[in-house]
Amino acid sequence: MRPFSAPVRVALISLAFSLLISVPVLLFVYHQTDTLFEQRVRGRIDDRQEILLRSYRREGAAGLVRTIREEIDSGRARNGAILLVDGSGRRIAGNIAAWPPTLPAKADWLEIRLYPEGSRQAVLYALRTVQLPKGERLLLGTGIEDRERMRASLVEALVGALLLAIPLGLIGGIMLLRITERRARAVGRVAARIAAGDFSHRLDERGEGEEFAVIANAINAMLERIEELVEQLRLVTDSLAHDLRSPLTRIRANVEKAATFASAELEQQALEAISIDIDRLLRIISATLEISRAEAGMGHEQFSSFDLSELLRDICEIYQPVAEEEGLKIEVEPSGGIAFVGNRQMIGRAVANLVDNAMKYAASGRAVSLSAHDTDEFAEIIVGDRGPGITPELRGDAVSKYRRLEEARTTEGSGLGLAMVRAVARLHGGDLILEDNQPGLRVRLILRRELARIAEV
Amino acid sequence: MSKKILVVEDDVTTADYIASGLAQNGFIVDRAADGRDGLFHATDGNYAAIVLDRMLPGMDGLAVLSAIRAAGIETPVIVLSALSSTDERVKGLKAGSDDYLAKPFAFSELLARIEALQRRRPASSQVATSFNCADLNLDLLTRRVERAGKRIDVQPREFRLLELLLRNQGQVVTRTMMLEEVWDYHFDPGTNVIDVHISRLRKKIDEGSERPLLHTVRGVGYMLSEQA
Repeated sequence: MRPFSAPVRVALISLAFSLLISVPVLLFVYHQTDTLFEQRVRGRIDDRQEILLRSYRREGAAGLVRTIREEIDSGRARNGAILLVDGSGRRIAGNIAAWPPTLPAKADWLEIRLYPEGSRQAVLYALRTVQLPKGERLLLGTGIEDRERMRASLVEALVGALLLAIPLGLIGGIMLLRITERRARAVGRVAARIAAGDFSHRLDERGEGEEFAVIANAINAMLERIEELVEQLRLVTDSLAHDLRSPLTRIRANVEKAATFASAELEQQALEAISIDIDRLLRIISATLEISRAEAGMGHEQFSSFDLSELLRDICEIYQPVAEEEGLKIEVEPSGGIAFVGNRQMIGRAVANLVDNAMKYAASGRAVSLSAHDTDEFAEIIVGDRGPGITPELRGDAVSKYRRLEEARTTEGSGLGLAMVRAVARLHGGDLILEDNQPGLRVRLILRRELARIAEV
Repeated sequence: MSKKILVVEDDVTTADYIASGLAQNGFIVDRAADGRDGLFHATDGNYAAIVLDRMLPGMDGLAVLSAIRAAGIETPVIVLSALSSTDERVKGLKAGSDDYLAKPFAFSELLARIEALQRRRPASSQVATSFNCADLNLDLLTRRVERAGKRIDVQPREFRLLELLLRNQGQVVTRTMMLEEVWDYHFDPGTNVIDVHISRLRKKIDEGSERPLLHTVRGVGYMLSEQA
């Protein structure tokens, strides 16, 4: 189980990436700016120290005091702090009230809040303290309130950039997702069409994303091959149909001609028997070819919209009189309209096949039941009889081509009935399931609605 | 007007079979052995119907059909094909054919269909609202069926079946034609499915009458006619 859905996951990953890139950049900028500022402050303190110490060296403490006063009076030290105290800590000169008791005599860089003389507001200074040879101590400093302001605005910029990075990351992620999704959907759509037996569609090999172009290329090559094979099958079945049917048509024509000349009853009977066998042979050929074609997904061109429950009523109506003659009854379980998109002719034929089968095996006097159900994904037609049924071990054999169940050998048929029905089910992305009807056989013809809907688009 | 039929079929035996059968039934037959020749004849002659093979050397049958229709020729066309699947049938009908018959076929089936096409044509220009055969009357507007002035109760499909027979009265209607026209299914229902429907209909319209109207044409189908 993943905690997030795919789109959210991609957006989060994209966001993480954009933070991963922008945060270090911003921290670097922050650090560089800070360092630069400190260097400038240090430089200013160095300069002042240089000036003050030079006058101390030249003229002693008196010179230093004079220079300090000059600095203060000229206003050059307005933003700075200068304080000279003697060995016992008494103030000699400067613009700071007193030497803070915690301040060491010798320090290179200290950051401390001090009250400038005559001010009630403490100012943050970067300080340097120097121990003079005669015991005096000198304090030099520069106000670094500026730095605090700069830091604050840097942090503001940082946060702003992050705030900007979040939506940008999300948008980027969503766009990336959209593109990927669109391509993946296109692949999915084509795949669904292939599953539905339509091999004519191709993926777009151009457009965004090299990887998708590679996939599209491979899928298209695969489709080319499948289409080729299906086309070959179509040609083979077509020519087989033609090659077998043409001589049979001639035989039949000649038999009919012969029948008009034959006078003896026996000759007539023999010719009639030939005709019947030719027809049977033809039905087997037709059914075999149709099964192969349906299994290969041919027949999608003829998909149309129709009502399944109406189809059941039609088939019931067609077979009911025959059933009644045989002492059977066909019952259609009433259901509302079941709209379906598929090959009506083939489904009709499949249901007719099932009803015909059920009638053959249903014990006399019993009913053959027909019903249809549908869910979002599937539509299902159920044909049930009360005959001897088929044991579970034999059910697989019952639906395969040419296999007729031993016990049923005596009944006429080509053995293609259920195989044909299964081929129709598969053409519609479904399946054929045989079950126990307690007693009897229950045949479920399952047809997928989704495939039909895709084929329709 | 002479009833001329054009048979476009490359297989000589089949073409002979169709041509001789049609000749015996009073049609004049022109033959073409390939699509090009067939198209040439079709655009030239004034035919009552064209029997067109689906697979022809040189030019495919459906291509010939499309060319004929593109040339504005409305002659009814029956496509003959060794391809019997329902898909092929629909393809043929979509290409502009009026009927589709799978090979091999009984000649009587082909004849019945050609004659049905002859009837269908004029009927389409003037809409008939009722049909009569002797003292049997079917009214399309009131949905009433009467025999000798007495109303007969028929179910909707029986009504359609009777209508089909009446539209083609005097002509044979085959079992597959009935399944196609009445229920719009193209499979072979096998056994005697249609026969039972007919025998029920026959019971309703002919029982108790001295002159039966619904006749069985052995091995082919059924015919509604005044003559026995």
